[in-house]
Amino acid sequence: MGISIPLVEKEFVAGFRQQKEWAGLIASAFFFGKVGSGLFIMSVFLPSRLGMLVGLLIVLVGKGGAHFLYLGRPWRFWRGMARPQSSWIARGIWAMGLMMVAGFAALSLPVGSSLYMPLTIFAVICAFVVAVYDGFLLTSSPAIPIWNTALMPVMCMFYSFLGGTTMVLFMTHMGFMELSEKFTAILPNLELGLLVANLLIVILFLIGSINTGSAGRESFDLLVKGPYAVPFFSLAIGVGLVFTLLMSIYAGPHASAGTVALITVADLIGHYFIFFLLLKVGVFKPVLGFLKI
Amino acid sequence: MKQSEMVAQKDYWAKSACKMCIHTCAIRAHVVDGVVVKIEGDPDNPGNRGKLCPKGQAGINRLYDPHRVKTPLKRTNPEKGVGVDPKWVPISWEEALSTTAEKLKAIREDDPRKLLVSINDFHRIHIWGWGSAFGSPHYFSTVGQYCGAAYHPTNGILDGAFAAINDYDHCKYWIQIGAGDGFSAHLHLASSIKRMADARVDRGMKLVVVEPRMSAGAAKADEWIATRPGTDRAFVLGMVYTMLYELNVYDAGFMRKHTNGIHLIQKDGNLLRNPENNKAMVWDTATDQARDFDAEMDVQDMALEGSYQVNGKECRPAFQVIKDSLVDHTPERMSEICSVSAETIRRIAKEYSDAACIGSNITLDGKEYPYRPAAVNYYRGAIGHVDGGLDALAMKLVNLVVGNIDVPGGHLGVGLNHQQLIIEEGEDGMMKPQPHLLHPPGNFSAKPDSFQMIEWYPIGIDPGHLCSSNIMDPEHFGYDYQPEALIIEHSNPMWNLSQTPKVKEVFKKLKFIVAIDIVLNESSDWADIVLPDLSYLESDLLICIESPMVTGYFYRRPVIKPLYDGRDATDILSDLAERIGFLPNWNGLLNFTCFLAPEYHLEPDKVYSNLELTDRMAKSIYGPDQGLEWFQEHGHATRLMRPDELYMSAAQKGLRIPIYFNFIKEVGEDLDKKMKAAGREWDTSSYLPVPVWRDSHPLHNVDPEYDMYAFAFKEAQSNFSESTTMPWIEEVISCQPIHLGVMINGKTAQAKGIKTGDVLKIESPFGEVKGLARVTEEVHPECIAISNTISRWSRHPVGKQRISTHFNQLLPSDVKWTDGMTGHLETATRVKLSVIAE
Amino acid sequence: MRYGMVIDLKRCVGCQACTVACKSENGNGPGIMYTKVLDQVSGEYPNVRKNFVPVLCNHCKNAPCQRVCPTGATYKREDGLVLVDHDKCMGCRACYVACPYNNRIYLKRGKIKVGYYGKEMTPYEEVKYAEHQDGIVEKCKFCSHRIDEGLTETSCVQTCPADARIFGDLDDSESKVSRLIRSRGGRQPLCEDDTDPSIYYLD
Repeated sequence: MGISIPLVEKEFVAGFRQQKEWAGLIASAFFFGKVGSGLFIMSVFLPSRLGMLVGLLIVLVGKGGAHFLYLGRPWRFWRGMARPQSSWIARGIWAMGLMMVAGFAALSLPVGSSLYMPLTIFAVICAFVVAVYDGFLLTSSPAIPIWNTALMPVMCMFYSFLGGTTMVLFMTHMGFMELSEKFTAILPNLELGLLVANLLIVILFLIGSINTGSAGRESFDLLVKGPYAVPFFSLAIGVGLVFTLLMSIYAGPHASAGTVALITVADLIGHYFIFFLLLKVGVFKPVLGFLKI
Repeated sequence: MKQSEMVAQKDYWAKSACKMCIHTCAIRAHVVDGVVVKIEGDPDNPGNRGKLCPKGQAGINRLYDPHRVKTPLKRTNPEKGVGVDPKWVPISWEEALSTTAEKLKAIREDDPRKLLVSINDFHRIHIWGWGSAFGSPHYFSTVGQYCGAAYHPTNGILDGAFAAINDYDHCKYWIQIGAGDGFSAHLHLASSIKRMADARVDRGMKLVVVEPRMSAGAAKADEWIATRPGTDRAFVLGMVYTMLYELNVYDAGFMRKHTNGIHLIQKDGNLLRNPENNKAMVWDTATDQARDFDAEMDVQDMALEGSYQVNGKECRPAFQVIKDSLVDHTPERMSEICSVSAETIRRIAKEYSDAACIGSNITLDGKEYPYRPAAVNYYRGAIGHVDGGLDALAMKLVNLVVGNIDVPGGHLGVGLNHQQLIIEEGEDGMMKPQPHLLHPPGNFSAKPDSFQMIEWYPIGIDPGHLCSSNIMDPEHFGYDYQPEALIIEHSNPMWNLSQTPKVKEVFKKLKFIVAIDIVLNESSDWADIVLPDLSYLESDLLICIESPMVTGYFYRRPVIKPLYDGRDATDILSDLAERIGFLPNWNGLLNFTCFLAPEYHLEPDKVYSNLELTDRMAKSIYGPDQGLEWFQEHGHATRLMRPDELYMSAAQKGLRIPIYFNFIKEVGEDLDKKMKAAGREWDTSSYLPVPVWRDSHPLHNVDPEYDMYAFAFKEAQSNFSESTTMPWIEEVISCQPIHLGVMINGKTAQAKGIKTGDVLKIESPFGEVKGLARVTEEVHPECIAISNTISRWSRHPVGKQRISTHFNQLLPSDVKWTDGMTGHLETATRVKLSVIAE
Repeated sequence: MRYGMVIDLKRCVGCQACTVACKSENGNGPGIMYTKVLDQVSGEYPNVRKNFVPVLCNHCKNAPCQRVCPTGATYKREDGLVLVDHDKCMGCRACYVACPYNNRIYLKRGKIKVGYYGKEMTPYEEVKYAEHQDGIVEKCKFCSHRIDEGLTETSCVQTCPADARIFGDLDDSESKVSRLIRSRGGRQPLCEDDTDPSIYYLD
């Protein structure tokens, strides 16, 4: 006899259950972590000390703040460093902490100081970890199949790069950053390329998630057919990727400041919502999968 | 340990007895610094063996319910009604008792019948008679509707039992009809679940559950057979037909030796009696003549079948009469009635009669007993109907046919208390029928005295649901007085009686209501004075109710000092009896209801405390060395019953039990005669000696616009809707789909355009309620099923539903819908549904 | 030594005595249930099947909750119990999303200050809620406090009227749990996740 498995809330019924704990603040922390570390990494290469500083502050205040608000016992946050050998959260806290120490230390040194480069490189490595660790964190959760895919860290990395690039474009157009001509030419194309790449990765991710078992399929259905389909297609895909892509193509390399501001806001909205929605559609497997009654 | 020593400790476990349902599991409470932190089943008790159901666990909720009545209360808001704040103010005990006594004394001096009585505490059956000691004949409440007005009398008539259960230890094929035994309710739930699980899993007993809703039992059963409500009799009579007419399987040896199946019956259905000595007669096939039932002859020669001429009168053995009465009860015809296929009826009859191992024996404790490991167990769902008496007799008959009554593996009588089965010698070598184990019968009178008309239900249990109709329409049966006051003890007539709007009208008429309880409910919300009782964890009681396989008294002891200014209800009632002026009557009644031996009889004019009473009761039952102190030292006096107590109680005394219920027929004829003499029209047609299907059943002859059946159900979390005001229970049931709305079958819902979550208007011919639809596959397509957990509307904040679906509002409350034989209300009804909001 | 539980789905009647006993034993406030019994219904009338499935922390040998815990609050005892050190937990809820069985419960800040009747606590609630912390994650402890007192049964096992739950040492091949798993073919839930749970179901 076939068994149709319901999606249940608090009822005592065997079925799929949505995770209810990781939502807005965790999505914010992921968002600020990726945008900030992306901006920091880009700024190191440009180079822009202001960009680096803003990147560090986004991570510290945005990501750190969101985590702090989220934790049930925030003043015990330091305990979270105890188990980096197995916990991606612990690794993330270490990476974030070291990124702050190295980043701010580098910024406090005069340009040309012998310690500047090693500190900066170390900070970039840490920032990279901050950008992608949440992907590994989600992947390491066997309970929720749609998170448990190899593409998750890749998607995190690309979103981080995209966020960083967008932020750099924005800051340049707003006059906070001076870019060399080389970068001025490359950046719009880089943005365009990253938008295309992210769109492709999201599509690949969705296709992949169909085959992550029944619970993954339930998540997929919630995302593309269920209550989350509207924000997903309008905000995460429409505004975040398609609109930005079309605007970038339409505006070209010489977009006005207003246009770039619009693209930036759209990109950040998409960035926030895709991870927010992926968290929301996290569905646990039914406990007694083997019970075919 | 002495009470004072025990509670002086810092950290202790106190043994006591549970009261979260009407039965008694043995419990132990963990008390730390005076706070009860855990209640567990008492592991040393042979009954529940440490097990406890969710309600028992949640007893802590009730004890520490902040909405408990903490002091005597007086109402200051003269307006009464649903949801109206009574504006209670605390008053002293003296004021509360003197006010109450003054009001009731005036009534008693005027006409004691003007007091309605609703004393319903099943643990304190000894106080039920307070009203009759006062002089009031009324029973303004119902228990019969919830357990079995049709159940208990028929158990008593069959074998002196109060309840009945299949033999958990030896049964191998258990058919369960409309009952929760072993799963969700009835007869010491925790111990029954354990025994049932052992039987099912360890012994591989086959279980067939017959009922319109898939209960916990049906879910665990090997087979669930869904019937229409109120047609279970048709199902089992179809089985009996199959066994008697098609399979030719029945226990002739048992019938000859232990039943009246051999008694010769005349054409009019009455026993053939020897004109010389008035003895019942049997047909002796060895000499081919009718002989006195007690004449010397071989049991094998007693005819069960055939037709004989005796002194020119045609007569047949009772068994032949039974068989002939059922000649048209073919599975095909029964199938039309109960909606179970004829093929299934035949198959179950075959499986059942095969499993009964007719003819086999078993030796227990060195004694040989017949071994019949197949039995039909049933309860309220099967018999809570018009013609419920016949339903119950049919359930007995299907057991009697295979000879399984009170034998290992079969269908066992369960006593009400330590007296176990009441086996006394009756007429014709038969056991004396015992339909009245709760209280003596009401005496016939041409004009009913009691609003529940017990005078006209000579073998029934108080049909309290009739009160509201009779009070509101006194002329109909000629009542020449009206009630003025009501006393409530641990009861909720506003909720438990049917046709609630009428009950509300009765409440509105009353000038004075006094309630004794620990929390307020739909009824006591209307009281003028409330007197706080002690909770079960704060009071003393010896109690022994309907325990299967176990006998002896459980000792309920206070596990802590009383939290508030409460008093034991027994003490309150004794105090009131003295103040009102009927203490001698009350003490005389207690002598009887507490089983007091002559040397412990109460002096008529002295007030005895509950503790004193308990001590005297203990000594009366267990001897002078086993008073209250013994129980405080040793705890319960419970033990497993011996095989000779469990089995063959009547046979051990050389007495036969009925398979042909001529006693019922005779009672009916006697009533008919008296009614005719009184010039009353009264339907006695259900007083039949053989259960048959009667097409006249009103439930199945309702205007077809009421196209669905409706019934209520309960599960283990909520044997009593009272449990729903305990947060742990409320929390659990609010997560269980069966308690989240009105259950309706998927296909039916689809046809009617009903979806889960729709708000339904549910109309019966007698009332209407609203309910949230819950579409499910777990119910018969012609039925809606309504949990008792969604029925409350008292002012207590816990357990309230967004939409209260109080099933009783859909039920009638008149004589037409009451079983003539037993007074059982029809507990199913017919409804039509409409969606009023999505 | 490895404590485990066998749950006999044939015996369980869905009465929820375990659910309530657990709440009582652990003093769990509104909404907090370490264990509960789920319905599993399939089929169409009249061919309906309904199972009652008790669920609780599986005390996995390879516990994902322990692996993802950044603070080390979640730890494993020698006797197989997976426990949470309430003083170490910072409330990140990584364990909640990592538990394949969805059996971890986060206690919101302020949770233990509100009882079933609001801020006015009953004497029971005052005593029992003080054993908890808020802002952290809790779960079934296999009644470690009872085991440490030398008792042989968890509270849910102690009360189960159907004896559907059996507690014992999985490492002892002669224990009742081991014998039942062998004779009845006990199965672990979601064993494909390689968590090696200490709960076995008999169906």
